[in-house]
Amino acid sequence: MPRLRIRGALALLAVAAHAAPLPGPAPGFEPVLAPRALHFPADHGPHPAFRQEWWYFTGHLAASSGERFGFELTFFRFALAPPGAAPAGPSSWRARELYLAHFAVSDLGARRFRYRRKLARGALGLAGATGEPLAVWIDDWRLRAAPGEEGVHWHVSASEPGYALDLELSTDAAPVLQGEAGFSRKGAEPGAASYYYSLPRLAARGTVRRGGAALAVQGLVWCDREWGSGGLGAGQAGWDWFGLQLSDGSALMFYALRTRAGTRAPFSAGSFVAPSGHAQPLDSAQVRIEAEGRWRSAEGTVYPSGWHLSVPSLALDLRLTPELTDQELVTTPRYWEGAVAVRGQRGGTSLGGAGYVELTGYAPERPPGTGSSLGPRLAR
Amino acid sequence: MSTLRRASLRHLWQHPGQLALALAGLALGVATIVAIDIATASARRAFELSLAAVNGAATHQIEAGPPGIDPALYVALRRTPLADADPPPPYQPLLSAYATIGERTLQLIGTDPLAAAELGGAAGSAALGNPEQVRDWFTRAGAVVLGADTARELNLAPGADFELEVAGRPVRAHLLAVLDPAQAPGLEDLLLTDIAQAQEWLQLSGRLSRIDARLGGPAAVAALRDLLPPGTRLEPTRAAARESFALTGAFTTNLQAMSLLGLLVGVFLIYGAVSFAVLQRRPLFGVLRALGTTRAELLRLVLGEALLLGVLGALAGVALGVLIGRELLQLVTRTINDLYFVLAVREVTVPTPTLAKGFAAALLCALTAALVPALEVAGCAPRLPLSRSVLEARATRLARRLAGLAVLLLLAAGLTILGSGRSLFGGFAALFLLLLAVAALAPAALQALARASARLTRSARLRLALADIGASLSRTGVAVAALGMALAAMIGVAVMVESFRVSLREWLAETLRADIYVSAPGPAASLGRRLEPQVIAAILATPGLRAHSEARRAHVDSAYGELEVNALRLVPGSAGAFRLLQGEPRQAWPAFDRGAILISEPLAWRLNLHPGATLPLVTAEGLRGFPVAGVYREYGNERGELLMDLDTYRRHWHDEALGALGLYLQPGVDVPATVVALQRAARGRQALFIRSNAQLRELSLQIFERTFLITRVLYWLAAGVAALGLLSALLAWQLARARELALLRTLGLTPLGSAALILTQTLFMGLAAFLAALPAGLLTALVLTAVINRRAFGWQIGLHLHAAQFLQALLLALVTAAVAALYPSWRASRVGLAGALREE
Repeated sequence: MPRLRIRGALALLAVAAHAAPLPGPAPGFEPVLAPRALHFPADHGPHPAFRQEWWYFTGHLAASSGERFGFELTFFRFALAPPGAAPAGPSSWRARELYLAHFAVSDLGARRFRYRRKLARGALGLAGATGEPLAVWIDDWRLRAAPGEEGVHWHVSASEPGYALDLELSTDAAPVLQGEAGFSRKGAEPGAASYYYSLPRLAARGTVRRGGAALAVQGLVWCDREWGSGGLGAGQAGWDWFGLQLSDGSALMFYALRTRAGTRAPFSAGSFVAPSGHAQPLDSAQVRIEAEGRWRSAEGTVYPSGWHLSVPSLALDLRLTPELTDQELVTTPRYWEGAVAVRGQRGGTSLGGAGYVELTGYAPERPPGTGSSLGPRLAR
Repeated sequence: MSTLRRASLRHLWQHPGQLALALAGLALGVATIVAIDIATASARRAFELSLAAVNGAATHQIEAGPPGIDPALYVALRRTPLADADPPPPYQPLLSAYATIGERTLQLIGTDPLAAAELGGAAGSAALGNPEQVRDWFTRAGAVVLGADTARELNLAPGADFELEVAGRPVRAHLLAVLDPAQAPGLEDLLLTDIAQAQEWLQLSGRLSRIDARLGGPAAVAALRDLLPPGTRLEPTRAAARESFALTGAFTTNLQAMSLLGLLVGVFLIYGAVSFAVLQRRPLFGVLRALGTTRAELLRLVLGEALLLGVLGALAGVALGVLIGRELLQLVTRTINDLYFVLAVREVTVPTPTLAKGFAAALLCALTAALVPALEVAGCAPRLPLSRSVLEARATRLARRLAGLAVLLLLAAGLTILGSGRSLFGGFAALFLLLLAVAALAPAALQALARASARLTRSARLRLALADIGASLSRTGVAVAALGMALAAMIGVAVMVESFRVSLREWLAETLRADIYVSAPGPAASLGRRLEPQVIAAILATPGLRAHSEARRAHVDSAYGELEVNALRLVPGSAGAFRLLQGEPRQAWPAFDRGAILISEPLAWRLNLHPGATLPLVTAEGLRGFPVAGVYREYGNERGELLMDLDTYRRHWHDEALGALGLYLQPGVDVPATVVALQRAARGRQALFIRSNAQLRELSLQIFERTFLITRVLYWLAAGVAALGLLSALLAWQLARARELALLRTLGLTPLGSAALILTQTLFMGLAAFLAALPAGLLTALVLTAVINRRAFGWQIGLHLHAAQFLQALLLALVTAAVAALYPSWRASRVGLAGALREE
């Protein structure tokens, strides 16, 4: 889904969202107007004809000692100019694209949340993305295909002060195409859409380094891939995104787009993936969500905290509890993206699970032009 | 308020002229100190702000030799953790150079705003505002950002397209945005652009001038140091900044010394005023003592008056200092820009310690000056105030003792010079001892002179006038001491400046041998200052050339920090342009051709190196020792430089660029016509400085004059304080003599005659001060040239004397004396005899 990312990340880099009052595609970039066939592994790689794109990983990891961690690792690609545009000069520092990455660790045992952001231009090998073999990177934060392996056998690594992550990710399951065979609409306007697929249950194995100590971990990781050239639908304020991996082997994704009036926008949607791997789309009317608590951040933003989520048509009834109340990323824009524990039942059978929830559009944005949109926070 | 205090205040109030002069002198002295402090502090603050704006929270910087840093190093560093548990620290790539917009030179900073933001540098992150701005910053050709004030001064609004010059080439720029100085202080006079754009403008394919880093601790520093390839170095940012500003160290010390001189003269003024105020009331104090006032009470009374004077003087002085400081700042900034780096000072910083210092100085001066008269008053017996004659007899004894003290002070000054080694502070201390000696000697000299002159003259009137001077030594001595000291300093400074000017002119004539000099614009040793190869070819193809020399200046790192290298290919037979002060030319030059270096006199002094020593320099291949073959005379660069054969330089630093050419014309070829031809040859390719030998000489001397403008302003300030001192002392003295004059008038002295008498006396005193200042001024000049200049800059200057230097001082002395005579003369001529004599 747009997962924060269009509005969030674009505002962050202030490249497109504010600049384009209409969600139509930017001139020179390919618009997302209709479904198209997705091919793998090619579509795991970058799509330079489109303006923006992201690789989004969230997951839960456990060490043999019992230590548990949640993490978020995202890579965004933003084109500054259409693919055919001539560069302004011959310097090897000239860049057509900017890359942004977020890395956050929720150390559940220590009840500690840490995050860091990286930004770099797509030049000189500082940051970039390639398709075959798959590689996306900023400095030493990277996603890359394991050499010689077919299918999804990936390697992700990132580090921030105090924590470093190094994981092998693999799955045999086919990607889950969201929306209409991967064509995901965000608004009524043509072009307010993206191509969107997920890998909801990647098996993860690797290490988490905390301070000087390396912990062997394994767990489940969710990967979202999305690209397009447009912005959000008109009148939308933000969204609540849920990605849940349930203990019976199923998975559920739903994004609730919120209008400025505070209601849920009709283009909200999701999918349910059965243990067999069979995916079925969910429309907005099928999914009920009630926030059960609220949390006020140090900066005064009030977020919902804890949810009751039910899908009557699937006989699914779940309660989601944040693993830590404070999993807010104080960046521009500010958003909450955190690990949640899942308890509930499906068809009368109780089950558990883990997931990630993303809440955007709750914090007031600073108007553009008041100082740096990259802000002093980056210094963290 | 006690009756005592009221009496005291009333006395001060009833003598407003005296009060005003003492206050003015003290205020001017304090003002000079405060002004100098404000000017240097403001310049330093602006420098630090602009550094902070660019550096952000950087703790260290990575630098390399002349060719700059390979960006691959930057990419690799960003990926390499310095410790197992920690991610790589934030880095910022930088390319800095200079750009000219119209007449204005700005520092061009090429940076990566994304990296800058991570490091916390305002320069980079402020460049990113709204979305279009971000896109344009990276993708629009010529995109730049300026500080709001700078943009306004250049008449540029956001969105403007304009032309600027980078490394002499005209380029087009587009002003994306202006930065509010409140949000981004220190960014004025910086031209910010993307690092890609800066490289394109400078035609430096991919190179960086510097990488800033924020390192967590000593372990990270050591780890990073291990990662760096040979030829690069890691330095703490603060140390680098300090070193940059330390360039101006000798200059600011010089300024502070001058301001102290002003204050010192101020002390004499206060002394004069307070002692006069005390002496006037001697009968009153005697009566007070008889009525039961204790010594302590009298002491407190006099010191209280001094304190009041001190507070008033401090208030006025600090206020005046802030005003003068603003003006002085312009001069200081211009000197820094001429000599050191581009600096724009937007704000006048008034440091609190400066104000405190000004206050403390004023109070201390006032109290010190009042202490002697106060003790004297407190010591006087009840009811029997000392008669003037007793007092003056005492003053005469004191003058003799002071003369003895002067000898001791002179000795101390000599010993300080000998014993303080290379210390600049020691040099200034000796200078002050010397000036104090002049002051101490002045009263005795005045008396001796007055007596001797009285013996020589036959005119009774003149004898009368002279005897009076000798007999009123308690007042005349002080005035002459203050003036003598100021005159000595004035003569010393004038001789030093003139000597320097002559030495510089001779050196320029000797050094500048080529007929025409062609150089790329920009600071001497900057990375971007290079002549383009096709421009060089076009220049050398100009008809009429006989030969040419080639030069490249660069900063290289060494065991002693950064040094400036002047790499030269000389025209055969022109080695005489460098006068060797140490080392044998017949051996030094062949060694030079084989790879040895010559070092300039200031460098030799600073590093304490002599021929035969080896200077280790960081070359592109790492540290390498270069034998020193000789030391040559050089006045162009106070930090010093080293001379190296161009081939030696290229071999070790892999830098093929040239920064300047010296062109020798065939006999009979017209210089101005050739300059025009050369300008035509370079037109459209690169803007160059093409100057004839004479023009270059003229320019060098102009910069020299501007540098010493501040010194001149300061010594006129000091002279002004001294003149005020003389004025106030003479005025007080003459007014107190009203009765004596009235008596003389009854004996037949005409009003005109009394005016002539007064004028004779003041002129004589001015002359005496001047005569005392003559030898002292010469000594001062000697200390300034041979000790202060040597220690501050390392160079030696031949002493050059000129009549004008002394005439100026004489003129000041006589004019001041004449002015001081005006009011008393006028009063004496109109005095009512009866009134004046009533008390007799």
